[in-house]
Amino acid sequence: MLDIKRLERRWLKYKIKKFLPYAVGVIAILILGITTFFWTYPEDSKNAPKVVTLPQKLPAEPVVQPIETTVLEPSMEFVQSFQGTPPPQKAQAVAAYSPKPVQRQVYSKPVVETFNVPEYTPPQPKVLTPAPKVSTNANGISINRDESKLDIDELQSRFKENSNANLGLFIARYHYEHGNYSEAYNYALKTNTLNNRIDESWILFAKSLVKLNRIDQAKKTLQLYISQSNSDNAKGLLESIDNGSFK
Amino acid sequence: MENSLFSKPRDLFLDVVNPRDYVQIDSVSHMYQLLKDSVQKPLKMILLYGRPGTGKSMLLHKLHHDLSKHQKVFMVSTPIIDEDDFLRVLAQNIFGHAPREVMTLNRFLEVSGALSLSDVPIVLLDEAQLYSSALMEKIRLISDARAIKFVITLHKTDKEDVIAKEHFQTRIWESIELQNASAEELKVYIQKKLLKANCFDVANMFNDKNMKLITSLTKGNYRETNKLLFSLFSLYCWYEENQPHSLQYNAIKPKWIEMAAIHTGLIHA
Ligand SMILES: Nc1ncnc2c1ncn2[C@@H]1O[C@H](COP(=O)(O)OP(=O)(O)OP(=O)(O)O)[C@@H](O)[C@H]1O
Ligand SMILES: [Mg+2]
Repeated sequence: MLDIKRLERRWLKYKIKKFLPYAVGVIAILILGITTFFWTYPEDSKNAPKVVTLPQKLPAEPVVQPIETTVLEPSMEFVQSFQGTPPPQKAQAVAAYSPKPVQRQVYSKPVVETFNVPEYTPPQPKVLTPAPKVSTNANGISINRDESKLDIDELQSRFKENSNANLGLFIARYHYEHGNYSEAYNYALKTNTLNNRIDESWILFAKSLVKLNRIDQAKKTLQLYISQSNSDNAKGLLESIDNGSFK
Repeated sequence: MENSLFSKPRDLFLDVVNPRDYVQIDSVSHMYQLLKDSVQKPLKMILLYGRPGTGKSMLLHKLHHDLSKHQKVFMVSTPIIDEDDFLRVLAQNIFGHAPREVMTLNRFLEVSGALSLSDVPIVLLDEAQLYSSALMEKIRLISDARAIKFVITLHKTDKEDVIAKEHFQTRIWESIELQNASAEELKVYIQKKLLKANCFDVANMFNDKNMKLITSLTKGNYRETNKLLFSLFSLYCWYEENQPHSLQYNAIKPKWIEMAAIHTGLIHA
């Protein structure tokens, strides 16, 4: 049913297409930079055609951004198309660099399978507005907003009953995300007692400790865990606590 | 493949409408409350509209489920296009009248009048954009005569917008619009669905970045989200069976979300 290999190829094609404008932009800027550099150099600037050959040096340039690694190849054609033309003017090069490509539009074709082929009109700005718009006389109906959020109390009582470590982790995460660090700490701890091999429960536990200003305990916990597990996540966290980037 | 960790979450996102799977989401339960209140008011017709996949059928089924505990309510989920059939089915199911003669509008109103029910029976019509305007006109007359109170759902595409305006604007006494979900609501939708089915481990895999990507792909549309997640979990089933080393359990891979989106046509590649 699923042709994964083909899907992977299509995905790669999609990614290349998506990043092409960025790559083109970066390269255009590089060319611009190098050309202006040589133009302003009195000795070399007398010999304009030399400039044209410069882009060929590009592959050797180490300054290319990391994400461009896969996309550099196709954009070299673009670079070659510059050869024989005069050095690009500033305005052109800037225009070629569009920091936001039209990626949004790529998604907009509808695939709805009902018989009367309903249409998705292209993305509408209002789609993401969270508040419900009520077109009618909402005569004072007030619903309890919290009731339809994720019902964390219900999840907690379920956790009491089933003691499922994954549920415990979910709750710990929820509290951490909502800034309830002592609850996050509690649930990370409970999760950890149920299953001490879940990496994230250690991490959440330590992070909550830091947030609760118990930094020494957080570090000790992490060191203990690292000695047992060699976890890269834990090492990373410990490091950022040490150098103060995680507060 | 069937006992995969991901086959259960996959099947949760099959595109079916069952009131038992109803998930409470901020704006949706607000709309549902409005809908329920409207039904109790002495209105003649209520219109529920919105783009495809915004949950109209789901709300209508839920309404049916909840109302039928207390009162006479009949649901027409697949439109009955033929006028005679339509009146016949209604007469039979609401008034318990199985006519041998052809069911005309007048006859229908007579039957209804003879019964003089204390409460106006409620009929729920899904996919009302499929009814002819002639039949819609009869529906209006029936509701004007207060023989039946109709709750109608309607696609809101541009073409149907016109129908909605022409047909209902002055005649419908309450209309409720459903919209796509916001990123926050969509997250609640997905998580509630997974948690309800005890898929805690899978629920843990969705982080905020994943949710942003999913919302931007589906525009918050529930049906598109179902399709996307169904094929996402199908991918997971495949990888679990064929390339287990490529699975990560701490987050959903954006690459796989995008692959699922390519598969369902949300991304063109
Ligand atoms: N509140 C909800 N709880 C659970 N599932 C929902 C909810 N809202 C929508 N869904 C799911 O989203 C999918 C699409 O919803 P639904 O079929 O109700 O859309 P619709 O507005 O009737 O679309 P159409 O106009 O094409 O008929 C369904 O599979 C349904 O299960
Ligand atoms: Mg529907």
